[in-house]
Amino acid sequence: MKHEESWDWEINANTKWFDWNLREIVSYRDLLFRFVRRNLIASYQQTILGPFWVFIQPALTTLVYYIIFGKVVKISTGGIPPVLFYLSGILFWSFFSDCLNGTMYTFLQNANIFNKVYFPRLVVPVSNVISHSIRIGIQLLLFIAIYLYNAATIGLAGNYYIFITPFLLLLTAGFGLGAGLIISVFTAKYRDLDYALQFLLRLFMFATPVVYPASIVPEKYQFLFWLNPLTVIIETFRAAYFSNEPVHYLRLALGTIVVLALLVVGITLFKKKELKIMDVV
Amino acid sequence: MIAIKVENISKLYRLGNTGTGRLREDIRFWLKRPNATKHLLWALKDINFEISQGEVMGFIGNNGAGKSTLLKIISSITTPTTGKISGKGSIASLLEVGSGFHGDLTGRENIFLNGNILGMKNHEIKKSFDEIIAFSGVEELIDTPVKHYSSGMYMRLAFAVAAHLNPEILIVDEVLAVGDVEFQRKCLGKMKEISDRKGKTVLFVSHNTQALQNLCDRVITLHKGHIIDAGRPAEVITNYLKSTDNNFLEQSYDTPESAPGNDYIRIRKIAIQYDTEIFDIRTPFSTKFEFWYNDPAPGSLIVGIHLFNMAGECIFDVASKGAQLHPGLITGECQIPGNFLNNGAYYLSIVFVKDTTQRLFYFEGCLSFNVEDFRENTAWFGKWMGYVRPAFPVVLNQQHVL
Repeated sequence: MKHEESWDWEINANTKWFDWNLREIVSYRDLLFRFVRRNLIASYQQTILGPFWVFIQPALTTLVYYIIFGKVVKISTGGIPPVLFYLSGILFWSFFSDCLNGTMYTFLQNANIFNKVYFPRLVVPVSNVISHSIRIGIQLLLFIAIYLYNAATIGLAGNYYIFITPFLLLLTAGFGLGAGLIISVFTAKYRDLDYALQFLLRLFMFATPVVYPASIVPEKYQFLFWLNPLTVIIETFRAAYFSNEPVHYLRLALGTIVVLALLVVGITLFKKKELKIMDVV
Repeated sequence: MIAIKVENISKLYRLGNTGTGRLREDIRFWLKRPNATKHLLWALKDINFEISQGEVMGFIGNNGAGKSTLLKIISSITTPTTGKISGKGSIASLLEVGSGFHGDLTGRENIFLNGNILGMKNHEIKKSFDEIIAFSGVEELIDTPVKHYSSGMYMRLAFAVAAHLNPEILIVDEVLAVGDVEFQRKCLGKMKEISDRKGKTVLFVSHNTQALQNLCDRVITLHKGHIIDAGRPAEVITNYLKSTDNNFLEQSYDTPESAPGNDYIRIRKIAIQYDTEIFDIRTPFSTKFEFWYNDPAPGSLIVGIHLFNMAGECIFDVASKGAQLHPGLITGECQIPGNFLNNGAYYLSIVFVKDTTQRLFYFEGCLSFNVEDFRENTAWFGKWMGYVRPAFPVVLNQQHVL
């Protein structure tokens, strides 16, 4: 006699494509925020200055860039006060590279725990991105303080599009996460990617308008240049805070599409491979 | 009612170096070149079984038999190559204790971190938080970073969290193999409590056959990825112990030329013999030996037997009386009673001495054997202490009645 059993769960040989199972991640939200908390607490343990490093890092980098690119090499900042110009570029760049670096070694860095306990693996990179989001949120306060000081003393342009900032942060996080998820699947398998990637990441910074304005890029490279979502993000941010120009919606839409595409590919690939990959790590 | 149904589960691993050349190997694999299949290993092959709700299922097998791989697949840590597993009820696995513990965080933070990782919700952890601390016995240090804990405290805290997991299906792998005797006692007690009182479905891997026997309703033996035996614990464990006989119980040689020894002594045979099916702590056994004696100027010969445990500690040194023997074939025997040695692995050496001082030949580590554990009417199944385990009676007498 055949009778139908109803099962709560099932494990199969093949994982499906497009099985994101986001509901499961929501059910693991306590773990998600626990990881965020751990990342924040643990990263400043046994440091003398503790959480002040959140400010010190971008402040020192800005100082170095100000001296090298502003005073020595004398690259134009497009009329924007140099300190604010570099700081805005640095904040978004470091937010992106933190999200990317925190995501692309997910399997390598968590091999121990992934080999012993099951939970949706996506919790780890997402918690990483949330931790970095909190950091950049605090860092933006530094930017706003300097911005307000400059606005009061020398006067600054700027318009209501500054309220698009949260969306720009979201795009940056999505870019880092999406690209990081794709890369994480490959770094787990091919270790030598690591060296190549760190080099490429450094190159990529110079392909992004961190220390120079987009306007100095030659005309024939402009389209390629704007394909980089970070270009769109940083330039939109600077335009909102330092000019009267409205947001360039077409470019913003292009950047958003690129980021969404990376996220979809990244999450799909990651979910598809998250268990199988552990056999080769 | 069935809690877990495992159908045709197989797991194929690709072996080989994981460093450079990985990409080349991958391409070869995709192209299905003939030597690509050389590095394949079936860790599990066509595994089928069912576990009923509330049943405690044990798994035994040698290293590499596939036990851990099986538990990993059921825990969703890795995927099977073929087959399907269906289950009912929430599942939690304990393949190690203290997963995700972070040295810089306090005991309190780590309880929450580890609990969340094991799938507990914050409110569940809060509910049993006091119990966890009490069970771990580290109250005073709960707000100290765990990197300052002793390894024993660390393990206790980790196990305390795990012991308060409350899934319908619990998977436990060999976690009891770590820690000191006291810790193991606590773990096994908790395991027993979980499986008895709470009626949970438990999958349990252990090398501790005594624990398996006491905790499990059924035991499965795995060997090289196949199920070779399944059924009631006592029978399955007995069969397993018989099959994994890695003892070296006999050496014998046909001619003096091929035999170990020297001009004075050549060993013809040395063997351990016993009559029962299993060699456990109750089993009397005898060490029998035969040797060719060829001393041109024979004196008083003494033959001694030295027994060592695997740590190299001498358990005993017994010797014959001095005997005037003529060259030729000599036989000897030493009877060792049952209820004498504790369970464990042992090796023995035999020594030949002339005139109490001149060592003619020392045949070191010539035999080795395992004494299995056996217990009745006891709830304690961790390692029994002591080098010997005599059955001396301990008698109680009531003197007064209050």
